[in-house]
Amino acid sequence: MTALLAIIGGAIYIIGYMVYGKRLEKEVVKADPNRPTPAVKLRDNVDYMPANKFVLYGHHFASIAGAGPIVGPALAVVWGWLPSILWIWFGNLFIGSVHDYLALMASVRYDGKSVQWISGKLMTPKTKYAFELFVYFALLLVIAAFMNVFGGLAAADPKIATASILFIIVAMIEGYIMYRTKMSFSAASIIGVILLVLAIVLGFQFPFIKIANIKTWYVIQFVYVIIAASLPVWILLQPRDYLNAYILWFGLIIGAIAALIAFRGFTWPAFTVFSPNLISGQPSPFWPTVPLIIACGALSGFHSIVASGTSSKQLDNELSGLLVGYGGMFTEGFLSTIVVLSIAAFGMTVLKEAGGDMAKLASPALIGKYGAGQIGATVGKVGIFTHSFGKLVNVIGIPEKLGVTFGGLWVSAFVLTTLDTSNRLARFAWGEIWEPVKKTSEGFYKFIANKWVGSIIAAALGMLIVWGGTLGSLWPGFAGANQMLASIAMITAAVWVRNVQKAKKAWQYAVLIPALFLWITVTVALIWYLFVAVPAIKAATTKYPVAIFTIIMIILNFILIGDFFSAFRKGPKPEAEVK
Amino acid sequence: MKTYFFLGKGGVGKTTIAASFGVGISIEKRSVLVVSLDPAHNLGDAFNLPLSNKIKKISDNLSAVEVDIEKMIKEYLNELAYKMKNTYRYLTTFNLDRYFDILRHSPGIEEYAVLEAIKRFIRLKEFDTIVFDTPPTGITIRVFAMPKLSLLWTDRLIKMRRRILDRRKMVENVKGRFEAKIEEETVVLTSDEKEDDVMNELVRYRSEMEELRNFFSSEDTIVDVVTMPEELALFETKRISESLSEFKIKLRTIFLNKVIQCKKPPEGIKGKIKEQEEVLKKMGEEFRGTQIKEIPLLEHSPRGTEELKELYNNYLT
Amino acid sequence: MKKLSDLLGRFFGGIDEGLKEASVSLIEKELEETENVFALLTMGFLSGIPSPPTGLVLRLLPYMQREIYVMMLRSKNLDDVFAETAGTFDID
Repeated sequence: MTALLAIIGGAIYIIGYMVYGKRLEKEVVKADPNRPTPAVKLRDNVDYMPANKFVLYGHHFASIAGAGPIVGPALAVVWGWLPSILWIWFGNLFIGSVHDYLALMASVRYDGKSVQWISGKLMTPKTKYAFELFVYFALLLVIAAFMNVFGGLAAADPKIATASILFIIVAMIEGYIMYRTKMSFSAASIIGVILLVLAIVLGFQFPFIKIANIKTWYVIQFVYVIIAASLPVWILLQPRDYLNAYILWFGLIIGAIAALIAFRGFTWPAFTVFSPNLISGQPSPFWPTVPLIIACGALSGFHSIVASGTSSKQLDNELSGLLVGYGGMFTEGFLSTIVVLSIAAFGMTVLKEAGGDMAKLASPALIGKYGAGQIGATVGKVGIFTHSFGKLVNVIGIPEKLGVTFGGLWVSAFVLTTLDTSNRLARFAWGEIWEPVKKTSEGFYKFIANKWVGSIIAAALGMLIVWGGTLGSLWPGFAGANQMLASIAMITAAVWVRNVQKAKKAWQYAVLIPALFLWITVTVALIWYLFVAVPAIKAATTKYPVAIFTIIMIILNFILIGDFFSAFRKGPKPEAEVK
Repeated sequence: MKTYFFLGKGGVGKTTIAASFGVGISIEKRSVLVVSLDPAHNLGDAFNLPLSNKIKKISDNLSAVEVDIEKMIKEYLNELAYKMKNTYRYLTTFNLDRYFDILRHSPGIEEYAVLEAIKRFIRLKEFDTIVFDTPPTGITIRVFAMPKLSLLWTDRLIKMRRRILDRRKMVENVKGRFEAKIEEETVVLTSDEKEDDVMNELVRYRSEMEELRNFFSSEDTIVDVVTMPEELALFETKRISESLSEFKIKLRTIFLNKVIQCKKPPEGIKGKIKEQEEVLKKMGEEFRGTQIKEIPLLEHSPRGTEELKELYNNYLT
Repeated sequence: MKKLSDLLGRFFGGIDEGLKEASVSLIEKELEETENVFALLTMGFLSGIPSPPTGLVLRLLPYMQREIYVMMLRSKNLDDVFAETAGTFDID
């Protein structure tokens, strides 16, 4: 089964790429190999520099893939593996990859400007400000949700905790030898990889960091984030970012190989119930709430930031965009497929070995009711993946427990990087938000926009939100924000396709319908979340901030659709030029 | 080499005193140069000789010159434009002329030119004494301030430049030497402090400024103020003295000029004489460490070398 | 056969180049920012911000072609700083 689904998944993506992707390229983007991209036209070897398309693809993929495509699907298996995989395949094909590709190409057409900037031009400037305001909240939710992910992993498994801490040290050593010494790049890289392996093996053999209290891990992460985000990038962030890419490719490749040769049947049910107890322990209907669980892997708004922030400025030719934007997202979808497969094949065994109450997991309906709880109580919501992954790679000879540690480090390495970068970005967005105050009270502005103040506030707010929360209640907040970002990007793309690209009606709808479907789904999901899931959150420090953010998100969502309709109704401009 | 700076606002007789001083010591010393940095060039009038931007020999031991600051500024900017045109000819978007107009009027350009002029003259080997007739007080104070201010900025920029070079080195360690393409030309961006033009210039400038700062505070640099026995003049002299001490420059002598010495003063100026006395008294109290020399209001202003010499002999020694 | 080795060469060359880029992209961004601030400070006279004494500026200007170049470029993108900053960091 694993092999079969891996192959089907791969096939769907490849065929989707060839058939749907190529048509998008021709009919919607109208990619012209003779039209110079900004990387060529505005080349300055500073920001704008054409990159080999494979290089850019690799870089883009490493940028967009993080912990998201792993954690989301791991949570989603409670619906059964089939609905999860269908969303990962078709949500990705018709919405996610389209979103990524169009965000990239629209940006290319606007000289590398971001999707937010484009939205400001195509719709209204207040859309742009709403976007920025909204991103700050989204970042706080990222910090909170990811603190929980790492905290959960580290508290449950000292091997993972130790390996993660060792990895930080390894990254700092790598930073030193790579940037401060004259050692050749290849030598430094090889040493880095060796040290990385050492960190995993040592963490596995000598798991001396035994802190079982998740709240302690929150405080540790709080301190870590503030320090890490204040360090010059070469000391930790950059080298870790670099080594993470090796972890990612290695995990993906051995996961794929193992899936192909495992030939295991699935013990996990294809389908449990439509509304299993998942989000905040409440019955969560697959539609509309699946985007609140599976974000990255199927559709992720943060990708549009990466696509239009850097990748669009390095695209060497319009025809390369398909591989980078569309292909990159597909690869992430494939990664998520592997995640689902491994749990489908080994999840049950994992739960049994971890002392789960098999009576509560005896039938699909029961799994729907108790599955999330059982997972949480035994291996942990992310642990279900790491343990299944361990069993999966055992098939190709890697010791199971080592595989588990690797899987755990994979997730935590990306989580810790994301915490670092989110804090930095939040600091920046914070300063922007308080700009209007500068004129009335300069002293206050100076204080509030101070780097340390911004950093501490973001980390503290994140920690506050996560303090009493569970992954089941927090993750949807993060995913919701992510999907909202995707909505904005998708809708901007739809306006672009109609008003600027003037694509054929059928193709306008090919973009518009997913965009509207997404918008409706996300809005209904957020309203559901606000009225069903949020009240079920026990901790007040989690409940109220999340509630406020959700309300703000819903309001912004309505402002957005209003702007969209007026822009859409205005129709194609006779001459849509970029100054 | 000894250097004398005569400060004072317009109308106090600064130029006359400076010229007279120059004449006087040219007899005692070997060779003296009197330099007028004041745009309101009165030095020529004082000597009764036409003076120009070129050093003119007045006697065996005495020469004089009136510096054309405006011309100097133009020269510097032209030189800069020339240097920049060569390196920037391909930055066609950068309309240099407009920016030079801004520079021409930027605050500090006059002070810069004056400072450069001072630097130039104190290097002349053929003179062992230079007497400077300074520009209006405001500019002169800022000129004295410039080394300290420049050092502050230079240190800051050096620190920042070091950080830039440091990061470049990191990237170099991975990607090799960085070659940037600016328009059609390839420029190698170095990470080495010794090779970086900007760093070298910063370091060079820093040592020059340090030299100047030491020069201004040294024992061989004598700063004097020429003033009048009036209340406002007293306040101004106080301010000058405070500013100077900020830059560790000592005020050596106060030349109190145009003192009314009248045995039988008419009614009309009795009040003035009373003010004068009070100012004299206060000055004595406020400026304990400083020498105060009084020069009476003369019947006619000295003109020409002989009269200036007489002034020196009578009142300035 | 030659074509294959040529292709492999380019493929691995591409990977090497990609890896090198990945390993320094953040540092390069920081470098750009610092160069930009250096340029802004030195040429503050153009935008009315506090700047070094004119003398220092006059002395440095002839050597600052790259800094001026970068500054000109950045001023074009000033209204989209969000993209500049956010795009550099991976969040997912």
